[in-house]
Amino acid sequence: MLMDILAFLTSPRFIEAFLRVIVFPGTLFTLLYAILAVWGERKLHARVHLRIGPLHIGPIMGLFQVIADFVKLVQKEIIVPRAAHRFIYNFVPLAAPILAAMSFAFIPCAPYPFYYGRPGPPYWVIYYTDLSLLVVLALFSLRPLLMIGAGWASNNKYSTLGALRAALQLFAYEVPLIIALAGIVIAVGTFDLARIAESQLVVWFILTQPLGFIVALIAMMAELGRRPFDIPLAEQEVVFGWPTEYTGAQFALVMMSEYLDLCAVSALITILYLGGWYGPVVPFLPPQASYVFWFLFKVAVLTIIIMLGRAVFPRLRIDQLLKAGWTWLIPLALLQVIIVLLEVDANMSWCIPAIAG
Amino acid sequence: MGSKVEAMTLSMGPQHPITGHFRFILEIDGDIVLKLEPDIGYTHRGIEKVAEYRTYIQNLPVVERVNSYCDSMGTLLGYPRVLEELMGIEVPERAKYLRVIAAELNRIASHLYAICLVAISTGFETMLMWTINDRELILDLLEMLTGQRITLTYPTVGGVRYDLPQAFKEEALKRLSYLERRLEDYRKMMLENHTFKMRTQGVGVLKPSDAIRLGIVGPNLRASGVKADVRKDEPYEVYDRMDFEIPVLKNWDCYDRALIRALEIEQSIRIVKQALKELPEGPIRARIPPLPPKGEAYSRVEAARGEFGYYLVSDGKDKPYRLRIVSPSFRNLIALPFLCRNVPLADVPIIYISLDLIPLDVDR
Repeated sequence: MLMDILAFLTSPRFIEAFLRVIVFPGTLFTLLYAILAVWGERKLHARVHLRIGPLHIGPIMGLFQVIADFVKLVQKEIIVPRAAHRFIYNFVPLAAPILAAMSFAFIPCAPYPFYYGRPGPPYWVIYYTDLSLLVVLALFSLRPLLMIGAGWASNNKYSTLGALRAALQLFAYEVPLIIALAGIVIAVGTFDLARIAESQLVVWFILTQPLGFIVALIAMMAELGRRPFDIPLAEQEVVFGWPTEYTGAQFALVMMSEYLDLCAVSALITILYLGGWYGPVVPFLPPQASYVFWFLFKVAVLTIIIMLGRAVFPRLRIDQLLKAGWTWLIPLALLQVIIVLLEVDANMSWCIPAIAG
Repeated sequence: MGSKVEAMTLSMGPQHPITGHFRFILEIDGDIVLKLEPDIGYTHRGIEKVAEYRTYIQNLPVVERVNSYCDSMGTLLGYPRVLEELMGIEVPERAKYLRVIAAELNRIASHLYAICLVAISTGFETMLMWTINDRELILDLLEMLTGQRITLTYPTVGGVRYDLPQAFKEEALKRLSYLERRLEDYRKMMLENHTFKMRTQGVGVLKPSDAIRLGIVGPNLRASGVKADVRKDEPYEVYDRMDFEIPVLKNWDCYDRALIRALEIEQSIRIVKQALKELPEGPIRARIPPLPPKGEAYSRVEAARGEFGYYLVSDGKDKPYRLRIVSPSFRNLIALPFLCRNVPLADVPIIYISLDLIPLDVDR
């Protein structure tokens, strides 16, 4: 019995799965991304603000400031408001990061270099399925439910207002996002993110479907609640929106889930529009490693672009966002789908990989 | 169908990121604010009463506390002036110029602060940091001049307390021309920012007739299209010799109230440059009699937030019999419930901040 367990634990299949879940596309990578993203965002905004930002903690440029902040938050008392719905209130900070990390489990990062004919996906991905795009979108659309739950359970008027704003915001981004992504699904003919990435070996979808890219990027920013669209969290209006009442470790978890979501969204757009892991061969790197490098590089660039919104834009009002969503994003996304359908009709194989292959 | 949804009452402040030491009692229907009722008094310090128990000179730092953290000079300047009017003292020329220089520098600092608050009320952190950083340059100048960054207590009865330090003129001109360049950056970053315009234009429109009827003063009144400024209407110190304009705008909304402060900073830079050029030599303080005569006097100056008045009644003793302080924020506060009727909740912070109300100034 013990030997069986030991044999299982040392089997290459288990070690491989363990490494995937714990190290590269899994927990460690996303946590490292979250830490670097918070630090990078603070340094980036400090640079735009003509400030310095975190400076002293850590080896270079305050790199460990985030860890120090996290430790400080974890030390604090967890306060549950007396009239709050205790179960939902305590459930949301645990569920939010899990949900965010879960969506990352379905996103393939690069071809798997150590694939020797063993059963398992030929990609750096925790769970491989050919419906991965649908699964990821479904997981994304669960997040507003958590926000509404937390806002209602806090029994705070500001939290409730923030939750209602989050629910309203859903109407602005969900429809255009799905229509825009439909353009890609039509072009490739599958929901499989790995095959969508592989179909961009020659031409990236950002070139053949620029409108879809713009709509998807804006809708994703609205989904994440980044600056021009951080309406549910608007500090000046509803204090901190739906997570107003959270303190200490719960607040840290809620904030971590935001950055895990940012990671998942950046990875998704990279796969869908920016050619996934394809790029010029990096000198001094084996081709397999260069796949990983290009994927991470594109994710980083997208993250910085999404973060810059907070530096250069004020916040929109909820009715302005809804108006923009329904009068600009949906028509643009529909236009993109129509263009794709016309291309399918005209057999333009260079931008419709489904026809080509 | 007969069932009426009751408006939700939301108590905004005094613990709220944007309200300062105010409380607003809002009645909300969905996202629409039906009614706003300001609840003031959280910073009431009874300065008018305190002033009756201090001698005239001791009162200088006391009345400055009405609104020292934004606009110390505009707040305090009226108090020595009302005493000088009562005593019939003529202030030396150099002191008049120094008062104008300090007042205009402080106006620049205060308006930068106001712009930063309008920016952050729309969630525009970059402008907050830029303006606060640049305000620090002006505060450094004031520190060179008076030894303090915020609570200057610079004018005194009969003149000013300190003369210009060495190299002040060169440093001031350098920093002011830097600020002129920065104003161009602000224009590009904030005033021409499409999203900022979307949030502020057409929001909180205060018509000139309403502004006059409600008794609005200062930049808010000028943003509402009424050309009224004590510096021009009833020039004090040496403002009649200064070459500047009173900007007046014609859209009357929150955007204009932010814009007019940027325009007034330009005019203030002009005034400081001219005053530094024309600064005469001479004493900085006149001799004053030990006690003021019996009687009463009123003086008004244009502080950064508007007309600041002092009404002094003296019974010939060494303490004021009554000192009435007319502060601009209290007069502008009345516009807030007027403008916050049937507006989205998201516009309330912008309207409130664009009026540039200071709780200290309202409560005294």
